Order: sequence, then C-alpha cells, then structure tokens
Amino acid sequence: MKSKLTMIIDSSKCFHCKACLVACQLENQVPVGFRRNWVKVSPLDSTDGMHFQPGNCMHCDKPTCVEACPTGATYKDSRDGVVKVREDLCIGCGSCIPSCPYGARYRHPEKKIVDKCDYCASRRETGKLPACVEICPTQARLFGDLNDVNSPVARLLKSKKTVRVVNNETDTEPMIFYVNQTAPRDWPVKAEAPLPIQLWRQVAVPLVKGVTGLTGLGVLFMLGRQLVAKDEPLGHDTHDEARDIGINDREQKE
Amino acid sequence: MTENRKNKQVIRRHSAHAMIIHWFNTVCWGVLLVTGLGLVDNPVLQPLGMWWVRFVHSAFGGGAQLLRVHIVCGAIWSIGLLLYGIIFLKSATLVFIKEILTVSLKRDLRWLIKKPLTMTVGPKIMRRLGMTPEIPDQGFYNVGQKLFAIPALFGGMIIAVTGWIMTFSKQDLTGVDTVQWSILIHFITVGLVFAGLLIHIYMAAIAKGELPALISMFTGKVPADYAKHHHRFWFEEVTSQEPESDPSLR
Repeated sequence: MKSKLTMIIDSSKCFHCKACLVACQLENQVPVGFRRNWVKVSPLDSTDGMHFQPGNCMHCDKPTCVEACPTGATYKDSRDGVVKVREDLCIGCGSCIPSCPYGARYRHPEKKIVDKCDYCASRRETGKLPACVEICPTQARLFGDLNDVNSPVARLLKSKKTVRVVNNETDTEPMIFYVNQTAPRDWPVKAEAPLPIQLWRQVAVPLVKGVTGLTGLGVLFMLGRQLVAKDEPLGHDTHDEARDIGINDREQKE
Repeated sequence: MTENRKNKQVIRRHSAHAMIIHWFNTVCWGVLLVTGLGLVDNPVLQPLGMWWVRFVHSAFGGGAQLLRVHIVCGAIWSIGLLLYGIIFLKSATLVFIKEILTVSLKRDLRWLIKKPLTMTVGPKIMRRLGMTPEIPDQGFYNVGQKLFAIPALFGGMIIAVTGWIMTFSKQDLTGVDTVQWSILIHFITVGLVFAGLLIHIYMAAIAKGELPALISMFTGKVPADYAKHHHRFWFEEVTSQEPESDPSLR
C-alpha cells in the first residue's frame, strides 16, 4: 500500500533551540545563507512570551510548485507523497520557487538547481527519521505514514484537533499539521507561477493546439479531397492550357 | 526538338550541399520534436498528452537521458546549420534569404487565395463562384513555400538561441527570468513552425503532382515541364540564360 509521509508539529513544544535548523543544514549540506526548514517567531497574545512555529516544505497535496515545473523535475512521489526534485532533470529555471506559498525552495548557489526538503530521503533509506525530527529535544515534530492507521501520526491526527497553515487564496492542501493552534497563520504568500509559465498554460498551449490542430485538419481535408476527386485537373494544369491557347492575361507578369 | 523530348529534359534545382542540409535538418527536427515534446513532463503544459511523455521517456530510458539526447541533437543541429550558413554564405544563404523575402504583393496574394481554394474546394466550385482556377506564376519558390521558409529560418534561429539559453541555465549566463521566457518562446515557436511543417510535408511530398519536388530533394533535378508549370519565372530565367546547360555546372 502506498504511504503518505506526514509531519505533525506541536509548536507549543518548540522553544527555538534551532537544533532542527542546524541538523538539516548539516545533513543536507545546505549552503550558508539558505535553508530547507525554518522556525517562525511570533509574540503570544495572552502573555509576554513568544510562540515558535517550526516548519519545512509542506509536501502539499495540490503542489503548485509541481504545476509550475516545465520538465517534471519537481514531482509529488505517488508512492510516499513526498514532493521531490529530480536533479538530473532540473534545468534550474526557478519557475517553482515563486510558485511555493511557503518559500520552501531555493536555487542552490553551486548546483544551480532547485533544492528543498525531501524529508531526508537518504536517511530514510537507511531506516532513520528525518534529521530535524530525530534531533528535536522536545519531540515537537512527529513524523510518519498517515496511511498506516496504527502509526503515531495517524492516531494523533484522529485524536487531536489540528490546523494547517495556508494562504486563503491558494490552498495547496499542505500535509503538515499543527496540533491545537499555531501562530503565525497568515504568512504564506499567494502561490503564483512566473508569468512565462502562466502564459504557457493559459495562452501557449491553446494557441499551439489550435494552430497545429486546424492546420492538421486542413491537411487531412486536402488529402481527403485528393483521394476522392482524383480526376479533377489541378489549377496549374488548366493554367498552362489557358496560356497555350493564349487566353491568359499577360498583365499578371508585371 | 520534339515536345516529347522537351518534356523529358531536366533542370538542376538543388545543389548537393542544399540537399544534404535539407535532410540533415529533417532528421534533426524529427529527433528534436520527438524528444522535446516528450520533455514537457507536466499535464498542464503538455499539449499532446501525458501518454506521449510516458512513451518517449521509456523509449529513451528516462528523462535525464532524454534531455541529454535533446541537448546534444540541438547542438549538432544549430552548429551544423550555422556552419552551413557561413560556408555557403554567398552562394546559398544570401541567395536563399533574398529569394524568400522577395514577394510580389498583388500576384502573391492572388496565389495565396487561389492555391488553397484549388486544394480544398477545387476548380469546379471555384468556377461556379465566378473565380478562375488558374493560379499566378511563381519564381524559384512560390509564395506558400516562402511563407514557410521565413518562419523556418527565423523561427529556427529563435529556437536555437532560446535552446542555448536553457542549456546554459546552470552556467548563470542569464538570469532565471530570461531562462523562463526562453522556455515559453521555444515552445510557441516550435509549435507554430510545426504547423507550417505539416503543410510543407503535405504540399511537397503528398499532394497530387508534387512527386517531382520530392524526388528533386534526392536527385537535385526537376523535369523541365514541372519547372515550367510550378515555377515559371525561375524556369524562364534558367532556360533563357543558357538553355542547353546545367546551371549547377556554372
């Protein structure tokens, strides 16, 4: 059975130790100045304390980044639900970067291709948890397969109230859940592919389909007519006959 | 000279290098179209359908291999044509560009209206509509051929340049926004040139009476009466200059 890897975060447990950020940076060799995960800091309403909200790529069920990728390098793996990047297919056009409401993607300064959280794919291959999950001292991040009813994430999602952090205009159906409540909730931006990708989808595809389709139909029509009207003389034949008997208008030739 | 002998005369129409570059271009375009369309692995951007993507991906052993084939073939194609254009600049390239950009507005418009009508509704209906089915005389290329040659040449240049921009995306020669626009322009230009290609293939290889044109792309020669019927101004130019000689030997 296909799995659906999910993270459930109890942001009330996070005290901003930044261990998850460092662990991710080291594990995935994320260059300085870039990041695959984050902790959002916001003041609490009721007290003078702070609230910390850990996060990373939400591995959305409606990933706008995937829709914006022209080569299929960015894709949602149907086997585990993780949004991944095929490095050898990514041409580094960066179309996916503004298409993510969460800013979860960056263009790697050396590889020149897009990089993002893959829930530590190479660690998971060896049976380990993602680095950020394993290192968290308060276990604020819970990771597992939502499709396995007995997994801790599936049980927690059933038993507790959770919220998701989404942009109101573009709900990409993120697959990270926050236990009870979290803050801030209004930070994701509207997911918008770059203009060339939008034009490709809205203008170029219908245009190319229309023009090639109509041309193809025209050619088929001519072919059909050619097969049916076999004996009809062509224009230039009659033309030549006309010329030979001298009724062609010579003014045609300047 | 009897009429019969005259009809069997042939005229040199294409040089050997022109035929080679034509078929070189044909093979490259074929490979590039198949692989390029297969590279658009995204259902909202793919015009033909995802079945094509799956088919081409499996035929080429995966997307990465497919991309490599597309880039290598595109490089061979664009460099090959560029070299051809430079080597034969005076004898072919400039002559070709001048020929395809020279139009006679009134005559060519008439050709453009009448020729498709003879091919679709046919001469009978044209006569019934009060239109003579005779089409105006044309030169080395008819205006239909010119209207395909222009986008093929300039579209080809656009396709090559945008292709190189994408290829060098990881070298950061341009910004990512230039790369993104290049992908779009590459796609649209190929789509429009492909539409022209459909007509080119039909008119040059399938349409009735056009077999000599197809054969001439292998032999370089056309029958004199074909040249007279289809490209009268060129025929008259060639025959009036040196009626008995082969222009290729000049």
